[in-house]
Amino acid sequence: MPERVDRALVDLAIVDLAIVDLSLVVNERPITLRVEPRETLADVLRERLGLTGLKVSCDAQVCGACTALVDGLAVSACTYLAVDADGRSVATIEGLTRDGELTPLQQAFIDEAAFQCGFCTAGMLMTAAALLDENRSPSREEVVAAIDGNLCRCTGYVPIVEAVLRAAEVGR
Amino acid sequence: MIPRFALARPTSIAEAFGAWEAAGGDAAWYAGGTELLQVMKMGLARVGTLIDLKRLPELRGISVDGDGALVIGAGTTHREIERSELVRRELPALAALEAHVANLRVRNQGTLGGNVAFAEPHSDPATLLLACGASVALVSPRRERTLPMADFVVGPFATARDADEILVSIRIPRARAGEGRGYAKAKFRERPAVSVGVALHVEGARAVAATVAIGSMTDTPVLVPEAAAAFGGARADETGIDEAARDARPHLEALDAADDLDGSADYKRHLAGVLLRRAARDAVAEARARA
Amino acid sequence: MTTHARAATGPLSPSPIGESVPRRDGRDKVTGAARFTADLIVPGMARAKILRSPYAHARIRSIDASAARAHGGVIAVVSAADLPDVNLYYGHAVADHPILADGVVRYAGEAVVGVVAEDLISAEEALALVQVDYEPLTAVTSVEAALAEGAPILHEREAEQRPNRGFEEHIEREHPNVCSTSRQRWGDIEAAFEGAHLVLKGTYRYPNSYAFAMEPYTAVAQWTEGALQVWSSCQHPFMVRDDLARCFRLPLSRVRVVVPYVGGGYGSKSYTKIEPLTAALALRAGRPVKLALSIEESILTTRGDGAAVTVRSAFDAEGHLRGRQAEILLNSGAYAENSPLVGRKAANRIAGPYRIPAVDVTCHVVYTNTSPASSFRGFGAPQGNFAAESQMDEAADLLGFDALEIRRRNVVAPGEPPWPKVRGLDADLDADLCLVAEELDWWMPPSPGRGRAIGISASDAGSEPVTTSLVRVSADGSVTVTAGSTEIGQGSSTVLPQIAAGELGVPLDRVQLLQSDTTAVSFDRSTGASRTTTIMGLGIQAAAHDARRQLVAWAEEALADGDVVVEVPGGVRIGETIHDWGSVVRAWFGGSYGECVGRGYVRREGRTQQMPPFWEIGCVGVEVSVDEDTGVVTVERLVTVGDVGCAINPQLVESQDLGAAIMGLGMALGEELVYTEDGTLLGGGLVDYRVPRASDIPRVTSILAERGDGVGVYGAKGGGEGAVNPIAGAVANAVKRATGVRVVEAPLTPERVWRALQERDRTSG
Repeated sequence: MPERVDRALVDLAIVDLAIVDLSLVVNERPITLRVEPRETLADVLRERLGLTGLKVSCDAQVCGACTALVDGLAVSACTYLAVDADGRSVATIEGLTRDGELTPLQQAFIDEAAFQCGFCTAGMLMTAAALLDENRSPSREEVVAAIDGNLCRCTGYVPIVEAVLRAAEVGR
Repeated sequence: MIPRFALARPTSIAEAFGAWEAAGGDAAWYAGGTELLQVMKMGLARVGTLIDLKRLPELRGISVDGDGALVIGAGTTHREIERSELVRRELPALAALEAHVANLRVRNQGTLGGNVAFAEPHSDPATLLLACGASVALVSPRRERTLPMADFVVGPFATARDADEILVSIRIPRARAGEGRGYAKAKFRERPAVSVGVALHVEGARAVAATVAIGSMTDTPVLVPEAAAAFGGARADETGIDEAARDARPHLEALDAADDLDGSADYKRHLAGVLLRRAARDAVAEARARA
Repeated sequence: MTTHARAATGPLSPSPIGESVPRRDGRDKVTGAARFTADLIVPGMARAKILRSPYAHARIRSIDASAARAHGGVIAVVSAADLPDVNLYYGHAVADHPILADGVVRYAGEAVVGVVAEDLISAEEALALVQVDYEPLTAVTSVEAALAEGAPILHEREAEQRPNRGFEEHIEREHPNVCSTSRQRWGDIEAAFEGAHLVLKGTYRYPNSYAFAMEPYTAVAQWTEGALQVWSSCQHPFMVRDDLARCFRLPLSRVRVVVPYVGGGYGSKSYTKIEPLTAALALRAGRPVKLALSIEESILTTRGDGAAVTVRSAFDAEGHLRGRQAEILLNSGAYAENSPLVGRKAANRIAGPYRIPAVDVTCHVVYTNTSPASSFRGFGAPQGNFAAESQMDEAADLLGFDALEIRRRNVVAPGEPPWPKVRGLDADLDADLCLVAEELDWWMPPSPGRGRAIGISASDAGSEPVTTSLVRVSADGSVTVTAGSTEIGQGSSTVLPQIAAGELGVPLDRVQLLQSDTTAVSFDRSTGASRTTTIMGLGIQAAAHDARRQLVAWAEEALADGDVVVEVPGGVRIGETIHDWGSVVRAWFGGSYGECVGRGYVRREGRTQQMPPFWEIGCVGVEVSVDEDTGVVTVERLVTVGDVGCAINPQLVESQDLGAAIMGLGMALGEELVYTEDGTLLGGGLVDYRVPRASDIPRVTSILAERGDGVGVYGAKGGGEGAVNPIAGAVANAVKRATGVRVVEAPLTPERVWRALQERDRTSG
């Protein structure tokens, strides 16, 4: 039975939105702002909220430099509409550090020299953080599979894998 | 950058159609957006209003219907399908396929319905779904209907879906006793270069029927009945399947394939033959397990 | 294995030389605090977008920007015609590159019009309103087409040749579409081939490549009264300053180029790219402007030269090279950029690292209607090495020698000049080869289906040994070092303070480095050619020595009271008392403040007289397996040797080696920019350009060879490029050993390998 087009509901509930009121949590802080639907999560994080740790590289969901966690899941912020984060919790690299203290994961990246130019690093860290949240002691193969969608042009990946394994030992 | 557009966020199918009408039809449905937003960014698509389908309960969920068929809501993400106990039990080849679609982030964000409706020629799910005899359920203000995959995907980025039809779910018939399905692909860049889906039905020690689908080589995935026929009567073990796959290969020579950065048409056809053996082996393993 | 002399550890602090101290930029980069150019905001900043040519070759009949100018939020729309007060053409080697297309476009993607607007969406929408009327011309995209009879000529007029090109000779152009030609000749090549026991000839191809620095080109330009400031993701701020000063007719001192963290360079951010364009847009807009390119636009800005290399090698019966003749054709795209130097280096490097009595190499750098090629890691060496090292293995097989043995017989010995009039080799190549072989289990047969190969290269690296540095010792003994180099990921911001700390004997955490700002720091030529640790290091060492000389004299004057002053690391000893540098400064100035400024100059004199400043070595080993059904090559093992003289920071050297080797694997197996005949780039983004991922990485062993044989501090030499050079040749040779097939075109894509296997099976029946 085809659904009726319910006019009354149209006016009330869906509203053809050119500006959207967005409420979300970013790095455990509630944020409200008005955004255009076309603004990506990367745009909002970087340009509106000054959280420039997340980088935009390929802008095509391939490289992972723009990885942010939305409700704990890694997404390409360059192709994720900010409006789709409404009511959700977003985590970026700036949220890792607590009161100036580096997490074991961040410290492991330093210890293993798991970065050089640093442009992929935010994405790598968020991806690794999501992995460790789900899997406390991943195998080497699991770490490689988890970061296989994050490109790095500098390191050759080995120190990154080592850093994640080391962080898993210590406890994320 | 994504050009300006208006947004609608309906919470039911009725509201969704209302939004479509309010947008004067200059609209597009979207869920994960991984493909649509990308082409909008690249200036290849302009849409006045995007209508977000993610709040529609009708598009969510994975279940088994009265006939034992697997029904996957169009709004289910690749990740959800990969991890679904139900899918792993009923169609493990799909769960395994979903674990390797694109990359982790696309799997978290993108949906099966979005993937099938976008009809990107280089697509993993479409090929396996075709081999499994899947169908899609569509709804519009005018009607509800079901289309088999073979009739749904009609060209590159083109489906039989009316613009205002919503793809609600994908239905894959139950695997009968002795039936197994397998998928193999060659991937050199971001998207699959060649995809092969195989369904095999085994009775006793022999394969009695098969379906072979080849995709990612050209505009749409295609069924290759002549290649499938080569599996009829084959011994249902590795050697038998390998021989049948070898016999099937000449039927792949006539397949349409594009010369592109992944390789020449000849090479892709060759790969299809190699992958056919690999997918068929997986299918026969499952078939024997379900015997 | 360390045989160099380290800085003496003194009473006041341990020397950090040779220590893998944690990276200085670590905290910034793991917390997201590190600022790159795209992260910068300047008050009043406007945004820009560029309209690019869809045609590979076309005349511009007209540009109508009226609708674009009228679009909301637009501040300025700029084409070449709007820049009469600007020197439109730049180029540090050949000034053939207009800031915006000047009546003609020479490649698909060339910048034609710039739109400046309040925000990006307005700029983007206005871009679509610009009307450009093109008259398409015939395009030539391959070297063969560009050199063919009747080919269209890309550059009709002779462009000015500039002094920063990296070599002295005037560039001779032997054909209208040849940008430059370089030759390397010595010995009697005819005799070498006539008398040879074995002559091999082959043609090999190396791809047009893309460095893929993950940070795209980005610049911010701001004009203040008569002065220009530019922030840019660039490697050579002083070179960029030079071009900006020339374009905008400013004195050097009124142009300031500042480089924040750079998200990858690999040579692709060497010299000038979008800075003049950004500055021109800011000039016309009357506002600061940020121009951030996409990755697709970055691919269209700079790529690596693809090459066709025909090489003939002559051997005697004992496997010694008697002669090598080569012709190298580089597909350099529409503008010269740094390709003349790449061509010069390609010609130099194809002989190495072997002792060859007669050599005759010609390298033509060819203009084509494709995006411009310029510096890229390896710099002409990978292209030639792929060909030459492939041929070495072929010779080994035909002569009945082991592939390692034939190389050992031919490598230049330590101290021996690889060719006439150059610095003797400052490396022990035989030892490097043996290190790799040992690690690779060379003398044990590989498992069935696997093949191994070793590759080696030696590059005349280091660019020009010209730099300056200041070392400032404060009243508390802490030290500020200024250096004109940049942090592009290689770790200069960590290594240079280590050198300063070691030279002054002060704790590392009391040394602060200021880099990459042409107003705040003194001149350094460039960050590239693997020169920073060596050359910038020498500059810092010189400045540190100058500071110490002054401080000792100050101590004598203000502290010693006639007693003997003995310098110790970190200060002076007078009698039984040790005075740190800080106390010397305070004493000399007579209070609680002051500063000692030490300065260092490096140029071609003394130990840096002879060119090249150092030889950069690449020595690698690989083991591969091949899936014969699909042609897919899997690298199972990778071994690299970092022959760097002294590893100031061993962890960073290993990082560089691994990164370079993996980048080399990319070109060996999958990276390739492909143009259609009409000059369109196929794909042209990361969806299609296949760089290595985490799952591609083999089991890796990085070995450091530190023999103290370099000209830099503590015997250091450069690293960071060496490992990329011999990878493709080694992979091709290993595939040959595993399967019996020789693939002469890189990358060794699955299809290329598969076709070679098909051919093998066909001919063997």
